[in-house]
Amino acid sequence: MSEIAFIGAIESGLLFGLVALGVFISFRILEFPDLTVDGSLPLGASVAAAAIVQGCDPYLATALAMVAGAGAGLVTAWLNVRLKILNLLASILTMTALYSINLRIMGRPNQALLGDRTIFSDCESWGLPYYWTSLIVYLIAILAVVALLVWFLNSETGLAMRATGANARMARAQGINTGRMTLLGMAISNALVALAGALFAQSQGGADVSMGLGVIVTGLAAVILGETVLPARLLVLAVLACVIGAILYRLAVAVALNASFIGLQAQDLKLITAVLVAAAMTLPSVKGRLSARRGGAK
Amino acid sequence: MIALSDVHVTFNPGTAIETRALRGLDLFIPEGQFVTVIGSNGAGKSTLLGVLSGEVGLQSGQVTIDGVDVSDWSTPRRAGLVARVFQDPMAGTCESLTIEENMALASARGRRRGLACAVTSGMQERFEERLSSLGLGLDKRLKDRMGLLSGGQRQAITLVMATLNPMKILLLDEHTAALDPKTAAFVMTLTDSIVRQSGLTTLMVTHSMRQALDYGDRTVMLHEGRVVLDVAGDERKGLAVEDLLHMFSTVRGEELSDDALLLS
Repeated sequence: MSEIAFIGAIESGLLFGLVALGVFISFRILEFPDLTVDGSLPLGASVAAAAIVQGCDPYLATALAMVAGAGAGLVTAWLNVRLKILNLLASILTMTALYSINLRIMGRPNQALLGDRTIFSDCESWGLPYYWTSLIVYLIAILAVVALLVWFLNSETGLAMRATGANARMARAQGINTGRMTLLGMAISNALVALAGALFAQSQGGADVSMGLGVIVTGLAAVILGETVLPARLLVLAVLACVIGAILYRLAVAVALNASFIGLQAQDLKLITAVLVAAAMTLPSVKGRLSARRGGAK
Repeated sequence: MIALSDVHVTFNPGTAIETRALRGLDLFIPEGQFVTVIGSNGAGKSTLLGVLSGEVGLQSGQVTIDGVDVSDWSTPRRAGLVARVFQDPMAGTCESLTIEENMALASARGRRRGLACAVTSGMQERFEERLSSLGLGLDKRLKDRMGLLSGGQRQAITLVMATLNPMKILLLDEHTAALDPKTAAFVMTLTDSIVRQSGLTTLMVTHSMRQALDYGDRTVMLHEGRVVLDVAGDERKGLAVEDLLHMFSTVRGEELSDDALLLS
């Protein structure tokens, strides 16, 4: 694997680390299986791209994308909490609706950002190769998000959110409005995914309405992979494990695509994704069986 | 001071499985009283707890706490007034959170939660002090996950959690029923000492007539969604399970036939 391919894998690992953190909040903290993600990633990209093309400041455009993502998460949570629609179905409804909304936002299926000012073009003045610049931007973004998330989850409200997912009845008996916590958590989760979309559009030079396809699978794979390689009780480590899982996952994909002897090509990406996810999901039980056998041999 | 007046609760109204759980229940509990509630299956014990905690909505009637009508308040809104220990030891705590995190959740019961750090060192000292009084060595395990503890340990912590903050009423929902006899006795003794120490207004639902008579100041028996027996003071002293059964059949003109109630 070349240096560029390696750095590219780390970079997309960091990007999907943001998605994984969003998925961690919905699937793990709130126990809310949320597929909105497949729509909120292109939503973030569309909003950022459309705003930047209109001459909007790229930082403001990225912030707008996060607000839009939070809105998408709120809609899903509202469908579930207030209208009592099954959580998985509620998220599929939002995801489906977002496809049309993303087309509306851009006015067409894709929007190129060629020569427009982006967060990444701002950093070119550092004089580093382009692939280093975007890596550093992603690294800063993910470290900031991890720090904020860990701080939040250890706050009173964050603890209330964790209790909502862990034991909703107990949470209500302690005076926690579990509906409101679900709304807040889903907003934060999808805002992070939209942030990933906004950064992705700016580093790749454009947004595409179909770029969200299968994102949830990748995000979930990253979370599960992270939990498997770094099974941590401590919150900081559990959050970091999502990012590490995402990087490992993208590296595995890059290795699979770059190893010419296997004969895989770029169009096999989704197949590799599914196979890797299946592998990541069976890893915990295989690991458990192995350690049980070891225990029995003693 | 808790007052329930003419409370009616019907589940699935208008359907084939309509259940009239409470049918005009009246109950007044003065401040500081420890009331034990018995009754056979379907008598309305759980519904009564649900009505007090806000989990079950009223069809008609009124629930007041210290003169404030809370009939329409949701469970979270009532949490500042009502503390609760569930029958299932797993239900009262979050097993994926640590002991101190669970206690921090409880110590914010009925308060607004902001962005301040959830577990402070001041809290840890207070939790340690409260846990050490249990004599179970749990004060050294604040960072352990709740899931590592036994049912009895979890129920003991849930009791401590319920009493970290002031409340108007403590609800105990057959909270020793899922424990082995020795642990159940320990938790019951602990309950009694905590309730007596702080003079808590308490309502304890139990399946055991013996327990209902041995603890508390007053025993109430529910039947078909109403209070059919209500004994306190001198009349209650020295009362045996047989006397209670006799009183029941005199009042109702029928024999009580719930083995669980008679045998436990």
